[in-house]
Amino acid sequence: MSLLRRSARFLVWPVAAFAVLAAAGPALLSRGALNDVWNTAFAVILASSWNILGGFAGQISIGYSAFVGIGAYTTVLLALAGINPYLTLPIGALLAALFSYVVGLPTFRLRGPYFTIATIGVSEAVRVFASGVSFTGGSSGVRMPAGSFDFVRNYSAMVLLAVIVVALSAWIKASPFGRALSAIRQDIDAAEALGVHAAKYKLAAHALSAALVALAGGLFAINFQYISPGSVFDFRLSLTIVLMPIVGGLGTVTGPVLGAILFSYLQIKMLSIPSLRDSYLFLYGGMLILVMLFEPKGLVGLLARLRRAPSAPSPARPVSHAD
Amino acid sequence: MSALRAILVNSLLTAGLYATMSYGLAVIYGVMRIINLAHAGILMLGAYVTLTLNVRFGIDPLVSLVLVIPLFFGFGVVLYVLLVKPLPQSAGGASIESLLLLFGVWLVLQNLAYAIWSGDIQSIMTGYTMRSVSVLGVRVGLPGLAVFAVSAASLVVLEATLRWTYLGRAIRAVTQNRDAALLSGINADRISAVAFGIGSAFAGAAGSLLAMLYAFTPDFGRSFLLKAFCIIVLAGMESVSGVAAGAFVLALLENVIGGYTAIPTSFQDALSFSLLVVALVAFPQGILGAFGAWTGRRRKLA
Repeated sequence: MSLLRRSARFLVWPVAAFAVLAAAGPALLSRGALNDVWNTAFAVILASSWNILGGFAGQISIGYSAFVGIGAYTTVLLALAGINPYLTLPIGALLAALFSYVVGLPTFRLRGPYFTIATIGVSEAVRVFASGVSFTGGSSGVRMPAGSFDFVRNYSAMVLLAVIVVALSAWIKASPFGRALSAIRQDIDAAEALGVHAAKYKLAAHALSAALVALAGGLFAINFQYISPGSVFDFRLSLTIVLMPIVGGLGTVTGPVLGAILFSYLQIKMLSIPSLRDSYLFLYGGMLILVMLFEPKGLVGLLARLRRAPSAPSPARPVSHAD
Repeated sequence: MSALRAILVNSLLTAGLYATMSYGLAVIYGVMRIINLAHAGILMLGAYVTLTLNVRFGIDPLVSLVLVIPLFFGFGVVLYVLLVKPLPQSAGGASIESLLLLFGVWLVLQNLAYAIWSGDIQSIMTGYTMRSVSVLGVRVGLPGLAVFAVSAASLVVLEATLRWTYLGRAIRAVTQNRDAALLSGINADRISAVAFGIGSAFAGAAGSLLAMLYAFTPDFGRSFLLKAFCIIVLAGMESVSGVAAGAFVLALLENVIGGYTAIPTSFQDALSFSLLVVALVAFPQGILGAFGAWTGRRRKLA
């Protein structure tokens, strides 16, 4: 009960906002605005799901595009075989969880940065493989079977999934599972000494976040009707998935949501401002450098610092790395 | 028989290049336990600087090393002083913070290259680009041979420096045990700055050499970075002398797969990247370390 109440505190806000968007959006907003909300919801799912492993458990994986790709390709290939696209979503999620398990079993023996390097290796291997084999359509990609496509339905599913993922992530953070992941992040040796089965928890967090990301990948494929290895297995996609939670606030519930909103906003702006599109790597890299140097807790840490700061003007304090 | 000889000669030539691009990564990792993801960006920048020197001033890529090496040494020192040093030091082990910071640097460098040189595919043509000579009865390209000669020379210089100079001994001391090195009066901070400089200089030089053999874009460098990781992991992460061995193993594997199996060349990189994961998991102490483990010598990774 107290667990429910504690997680409820985090939730009221986003759940209310998204419920309104999901229910009233299609009636009130223009198609363009709906598209922006769709993109934001997609980003929120990717960021918050990644954060379960990367933030809560501290295992930084730069290879999540593999799971987006598995979800998207499962949906398209099964839809081509005549199955209702929405029914294929759980199959994609299952396959992604399975793949995350197979990959995690050896790589979770590695710690910290070594794990990160291994994830780059795995996802690049997957990308090269996917561009070379024929069932992915090679570099030309594959198209969904022609049929009636309902954007509002896809939109509702995406927004609903975003609400579920954020709620789940808040619930996990407050649960014993979340506390075990947090113990692993802080000191894996101490956690294991206290009886936390680190490998089991890491695999579970990996599988859960992979499955959620694959669901979003499936919805992505249904919406765009066309996918290729270059669009869903892209390194830049992995990069954005990592950056959103880090810039927003690693290991928090609100951080990835803030990061996702910021990055979606930037992406929308990029479409209209060419100079921004040409310098997005400056922007992404610069944000990453600034966060690492000055505010490892990201936007969430920045907001907390602003709130703490006294209203009277005071001399600038040096940045403390102690906490 | 001649096929085998061709594979060995080609592997050796590739290994020289691979070792040069991996040394910088190994030196920086050894001294600071930092995984320098910006390495890929510096490789790419080295290629573009060489291109500009070649197109604008007509300087031969091999001659341009005289400018590229000091330039990137300075770049590495500045990078260390401005960005890496201010990071909170982590006790032992490589820190994820420095990895992400340098990842950010890589992205910025990539954008810099897009802004200056655009995203077009570039390559460097010299008078000898298309020439080939016969080595042990195997036809090899003259640029490949020149690249190997430069690689071998630079590796000899690095090994000699590490072995016989004060700087080299200090670098090895900090690599083996930072605290003990501090206790014996080594300025570990200055050594770190120098090591970052050497690491970048090697990356820049490797970029120049790569530019002689391959076409490149600002995105260029990622697959070479992963191969370099694979090599230093095979080498045992901090053993500079093992790097040459690791480079040869990877080059041989690629050439054997290309020459003897039906696996299409487009999958070759996927195999190298998978080997990286296998090597990280199976040989945390490197190939030489794996032999050492049999004789009872064990070290723990991180």
